[in-house]
Amino acid sequence: MVEVFAVASGKGGTGKTTSTVALGMALSDRYDVTVVDADTGMANLLFHAGLSDAETTLHDVLADDAPVEAATYDRFGLTVVPCGTSLDGFRDADPDRLRDVVATLAKDTDIILLDSPPALDSRTAVLPIVLADRIVVVLQPTIPAISDGLKVQEYATTYDTDVAGLLFNKVRESESIEQVSEKTERYFDGPTLASVPESERAREARRAGRPLLAHAPECEAASAYREAAESLTVRNGAAADAADRFQSAVIPESL
Amino acid sequence: MKLPRGRLDKSRVVTDLRDTLADVLDRELTGYAVFESQETLLLDGEGRGVITFTDGVPVLAYHTGTDRGGPPALADLAVPGPYHVSLYALDAADLESAHGAGELQVPPGMPAERLGGDPALADSTRRAAPDERLSAMGDGDAAVPGDGTAEQSAVEAFLDDAEKIEAIKQQARSEARERAQEWDF
Repeated sequence: MVEVFAVASGKGGTGKTTSTVALGMALSDRYDVTVVDADTGMANLLFHAGLSDAETTLHDVLADDAPVEAATYDRFGLTVVPCGTSLDGFRDADPDRLRDVVATLAKDTDIILLDSPPALDSRTAVLPIVLADRIVVVLQPTIPAISDGLKVQEYATTYDTDVAGLLFNKVRESESIEQVSEKTERYFDGPTLASVPESERAREARRAGRPLLAHAPECEAASAYREAAESLTVRNGAAADAADRFQSAVIPESL
Repeated sequence: MKLPRGRLDKSRVVTDLRDTLADVLDRELTGYAVFESQETLLLDGEGRGVITFTDGVPVLAYHTGTDRGGPPALADLAVPGPYHVSLYALDAADLESAHGAGELQVPPGMPAERLGGDPALADSTRRAAPDERLSAMGDGDAAVPGDGTAEQSAVEAFLDDAEKIEAIKQQARSEARERAQEWDF
């Protein structure tokens, strides 16, 4: 069984990486979870997972200098594939190899979460959405975040990738999110998985280089991520053909 | 709104207006910005938006396509990017007569909320604004930091505009189809 989710947002600053790791940790109670930093131009998962000194990263794998196994690390109950932050690493990386990376990882895990670039302006930025089975859209309750999130959904569904749900993040106390989330759901193909409150704990966790669910597992934001994980029904893919599935993931021919 | 042309400070395509607003605030720019959405197919996508600044803090907003000013102009501008943005610097004295037009004024934090989608940047902008700007705007802005009521109703008004949202979705689908070929997926 494997299902690949791209954790995506059209806009930067929505807390996508924090959300990817938190969702991953929350899902790891029930599943074997692998988290991949697919934002190869602006990687930061390594800083969230205490891997800033990781020697081998996805950049080396995408440059064909290392096998994917050499860039996987067991941290906080997850398998983590961090990406490097150097410009040289980005330049030498062949984004198309991400297909093989996902295909290889898919043989040995239940869920893959791809932390995706917060943009739709290049092939590299969009590839994780194409490879994924479904996307989780991370939104703030603001007009730009919602309209950029809509764009991400339309790209995804055009490329035959479904929507698993929405995650409202950094929600301020003063915002009664229920009305906004109910109205937002009218335009999205998936439900709201949870609303995560803006959290000082999340900022502390980021500064400490630890995932939120390890740093402050009892805080309100952490509970919201667990709620999101619980409302996510993971689909059973056929393990046997997983490798084929991702190597041949292409846009539907009808386009 | 009539403005002297000013000195061109920057002209570029940006994907996130938050970055422009943060840059203007950081540099305490006095002058104005002209925004042009690249998504001309969208409703209200025609025309340009203008926002004036004093010391990096937004003062007026106007949209040339809809001829609306103040908060409604920000609603007209709130369409997905990328945008072409030109920044012009002016002396404060050159803006004086334009800034007299009360009906075009926007609360200081509102562009960061509605165009930048960044409540924290809106807070910083409000902190940088002179006291009389905050008190003068009354209920139009989240004048009390953390009071997001006005912002929430703006988000809800956006979500009630089904036609505009359908246009955003349609534009994104056609862009995605075109790019699939360009990117050789």
